[in-house]
Amino acid sequence: MRIGIVRGHVTLNLAVDAFRGKTLVVLEPVTMENLAAGNGLGGGKALVAIDELGAAEGQMVAFTEGREAANPFWPKSVPADAYCSLIVDSIDIQS
Amino acid sequence: MFLARICGTVVAPVKHSTLGGCRFLVAQRLEADGSVAAEPIVVVDWLGATNGCTVLVSTDGDIARARLGNNTPARMVVAGIVDAVQTAASRRGENA
Repeated sequence: MRIGIVRGHVTLNLAVDAFRGKTLVVLEPVTMENLAAGNGLGGGKALVAIDELGAAEGQMVAFTEGREAANPFWPKSVPADAYCSLIVDSIDIQS
Repeated sequence: MFLARICGTVVAPVKHSTLGGCRFLVAQRLEADGSVAAEPIVVVDWLGATNGCTVLVSTDGDIARARLGNNTPARMVVAGIVDAVQTAASRRGENA
């Protein structure tokens, strides 16, 4: 999983059936530098992920990428490659 | 699989239902020259890795699926805690 900050939500007009009713969030991945500084900045390339936890804008989440992102919908087949697995409350960094 | 260094812990009360009770650690992927990647990753740990540990991370979800069920989104798992890495540089006594 990588760590990202929720920057917004995506609403689809037309979509494949598997995406009906799914919440999509725009995530900005966080670099180690920004995470250690705790400055609320991301720094990575933005991506869209499915969110079932109800993450709000500005919240930090950890998201799974790849084939495993579709596992929560098993045995249904959903063409997702990013999924919010946890909403981060706090991170304790010790370098 | 790749090597990573553990550098922190994650507290996340809200998570996918299969992830209850899991230990989440922040790690940085190690490059061949000993430097670390810019973006941190979150790994699931059952072996008891601590801060500063070098670990072997598997990006295959099979380990997590076997433990947490087919529905789990967990993917990166600590598959081993590294004792020693031998490279040409380390054999020469550099970068020990």
